[in-house]
Amino acid sequence: MSDVGKIRIRVPSSVKAGDIIRVRCLVIHPMERIERDAQGKIIDRNYNYITRVTATYLGKPVVAFDLTQSVSENPAFSFALKATAPGPVKVTFVDTHGGKYEGTADIAFA
Amino acid sequence: MGEALTRRTAIGRLGAVGVAVATGALRRPAPAGAQAASPALGLQESVQDGLKRVFGGRPMKDGAAMIKLDVPPIAENGAVVPVNVEVTAPMTPASYVKTIWIVADKNRIPIVAKATLTPESGEAFVGANIRLGETTDVRAVVEQSDGTLLVAKREVKVTVGGCGG
Repeated sequence: MSDVGKIRIRVPSSVKAGDIIRVRCLVIHPMERIERDAQGKIIDRNYNYITRVTATYLGKPVVAFDLTQSVSENPAFSFALKATAPGPVKVTFVDTHGGKYEGTADIAFA
Repeated sequence: MGEALTRRTAIGRLGAVGVAVATGALRRPAPAGAQAASPALGLQESVQDGLKRVFGGRPMKDGAAMIKLDVPPIAENGAVVPVNVEVTAPMTPASYVKTIWIVADKNRIPIVAKATLTPESGEAFVGANIRLGETTDVRAVVEQSDGTLLVAKREVKVTVGGCGG
């Protein structure tokens, strides 16, 4: 459990100015599923899963995901962006238990 | 050593209590609990109800020619199914793909994810790993900046379901 919130972001290693690149990111998170009791009734509690993912590049928003419990454990996402200048890609994950996890990766031009 | 550890764990616990109190206070006005965080998503409903609630019966065009929905034809493990959606459409401030919805017809929560794009993306592409409860159609619904809705769907055969409960 201690790994919850660990983020890995992959960007291409050789990027040229103006390229459209694809970024992949992964976060370690349980993404709890809805549980049911023996009668099949949903157990009502605050399930811990990620509801929102936002990605910014050079401070500008690129993509935002709104998620549900139908998304896998340790969710992975990919998105595209246009590399205009070297700089950081920042991805923020927010879960229902108030957890906020951030990861950055730098885009460097070859 | 023992002392330092105890103090550390004690502080850690205090912090956890603080977070719990804060989130509890935030969440109290919304009795829907876990689902309060994203009101437009995450409901248990049929796919027809879900699409109606989100899109309100707006006409959807067949976007099979424009939308490249990349899903495995057979998923051995329904808990992790990679879905990639690519739309061949311009991404300029004047005309771009605004949102991409991923919908799994037979999931208990059919509206799986919503991706909001900006022209900064340069290319309308998103990917995510989703859960599928059973063999089902997966749809990608694309909304363009002018409000046009396009839809494409493909079936994924699931050997072992991943939604549990």
